[in-house]
Amino acid sequence: MTTLGLDIGSRTIKLVVRENGAVVLTRKELTSYDPLAVCRELLRNAPGGPLVATGYGRHLIKEYLRCETISEIKAFALGARAVFPSCRTILDIGGQDTKAIALTADGRIDKFHMNDKCAAGTGRFLEIMATALGLSLGDFMTEALAAETSHPINSMCTVFAESEVISTIARGTARPAIALGIHQAIAARAVSLLERVSITEDILFAGGVALNRCMQREIENKLGRKVHAPPDPQIIGALGCALLAANNV
Amino acid sequence: MPFNVPDVKPLIEDEFVGEAAKRALQYIQTKRAAGMPVAGIYCGYAPMEVIRAVGAVPAILCAFANKTIAAAEAVLPANLCPLIKSSYGFIITDTCPFFGISDAVVAETTCDGKKKMFELISEYKPMFVMDLPQLPDEKEALANWAVMITKLQGFLEKTFSTSATPEGIEREIKATNIKNRLMNRVFDYAAKKPSLLKWSETYELAFLAQVATTADLQPIFREVFKTIEDREAKGVHYGTASAPRVLVTGCPVGGDSTKVYKIIEEAGGVVVAMDSCTGMKPFMTEIEENTGDPIAAVAARYLQLPCSCMTPNTRRLDELDKTIACFQPDVVIEVVLHACHSYNIEAYKIMNHAKSKHNLPYLKIETDYSDGDVEQIRTRVEALFDSL
Repeated sequence: MTTLGLDIGSRTIKLVVRENGAVVLTRKELTSYDPLAVCRELLRNAPGGPLVATGYGRHLIKEYLRCETISEIKAFALGARAVFPSCRTILDIGGQDTKAIALTADGRIDKFHMNDKCAAGTGRFLEIMATALGLSLGDFMTEALAAETSHPINSMCTVFAESEVISTIARGTARPAIALGIHQAIAARAVSLLERVSITEDILFAGGVALNRCMQREIENKLGRKVHAPPDPQIIGALGCALLAANNV
Repeated sequence: MPFNVPDVKPLIEDEFVGEAAKRALQYIQTKRAAGMPVAGIYCGYAPMEVIRAVGAVPAILCAFANKTIAAAEAVLPANLCPLIKSSYGFIITDTCPFFGISDAVVAETTCDGKKKMFELISEYKPMFVMDLPQLPDEKEALANWAVMITKLQGFLEKTFSTSATPEGIEREIKATNIKNRLMNRVFDYAAKKPSLLKWSETYELAFLAQVATTADLQPIFREVFKTIEDREAKGVHYGTASAPRVLVTGCPVGGDSTKVYKIIEEAGGVVVAMDSCTGMKPFMTEIEENTGDPIAAVAARYLQLPCSCMTPNTRRLDELDKTIACFQPDVVIEVVLHACHSYNIEAYKIMNHAKSKHNLPYLKIETDYSDGDVEQIRTRVEALFDSL
């Protein structure tokens, strides 16, 4: 049986296709100004089957595909257990949201907490900070990983943080130190969100920001615990949708 | 989220269905045309019994629209509560019809933002600012508040060239008690499982009941109870029996911020209890009758209102216990307006109380009157319902 999961995020749209219990296809594309067109493109030539959608754009696609939609919390809870069955806590840092989800031993949602509605400390924040430092996202992480000292960044509002970074550059602070300071500020915010739901191991780190090894290291340092980032952390929500689509049949 | 049958008769069947403010405006205009002075009010601490006893009709002033905020921000800081910005914007753009027909304005020092905003609008109309004691359990609080209410009486008498008697205030106390009992009977139907009322019906009735006299409300109450009893007899109810029942607590919710109620419904929930100054709070508790000192009785009742401006505000937790027992919600959602520090900080206590004492999931929504955050709020509310 073939089922599909679509996660229409604020920055990236992810498609997962499962066939007979295995993932056979994953696709990712930037959300752009026309997420519906991107969804159509992702679904073109993909195998057909029941589809479940999640993410910010889920209500948009619901009109066109008559598919079931679920919240990201539910999608991530299902997807996380599929890639990491012993997972009890999920940290997801996406394009504009950060979520901490605590699961019961049998995988049900116990508690969850999301960041306030602003995008402070999310993937979008990292992108803007990298741009302010004149770096690509990859180089931004590499510089931060290699930094020997860190310069603390205090503002968490994207606009204020950008001003703070610019004035820190103007004072002659080394770029790697600023890059690390930004990573540490976001890590502290993520950890405080995790602490609100109570942290039980094992901890899974998902979402686009989980591709950032410096962020993983800094979160582990702050928590004093191991945090597991799966090989493809961006598809967890879409995978959860594909799993639910299979359960529904 | 609909009723379980089509074409349900609205709770108040008139030409103002869905337009609570217009219905109230027409009521006040009728009273004014009959010669009654109008006292504009901003808050649930305005002692209605004294306003009525001096022969005035109260008008709740506009404070809930996004459209006036841009004008307000030309003067006020952007990082201020939207309710204060909206109120001020309405006045400087001269777009609040209630303010336009007010002969005087009653204001209270419930927070710093309002207090300083009142200074900026004090030129427009005769205004009386009441110094609200914020440590309600101190023994001086009651006496001080009673003095303020007496001073308000004097201000209104002088401004309106009328006078109130202790007997008149006592009559208004009794009338308020009758009204509050009737309103609580209506709320009991919202508390039924499943609920017999849509949130907007309760909201509209509460809006009118704050300004109208008990006598004028009697025919409306008769119709309302007939309608509800008819619904009950025919098995009409609102939403599905399995829909999550939501208790909404926190800042006043009205006009543009009712977006939160709408999102809750679109996500499949039913708002059964509105624990705020635009919902059930104005009708809570009875005023003691026949004390021989009606001003003191009025003062005692208003000091019991559990606004977050009070410290400590233990009454809010006690009242929450009663509301939860009566309405049996599945979740508690708190609405905090941007920059309302007292509700925002107190939210921590409410969250712990809901979770630990009542084992209820809790979600805090911090918002303003714009619609820019509708999808973010929707994601959080849907996730909350998914986790049930």
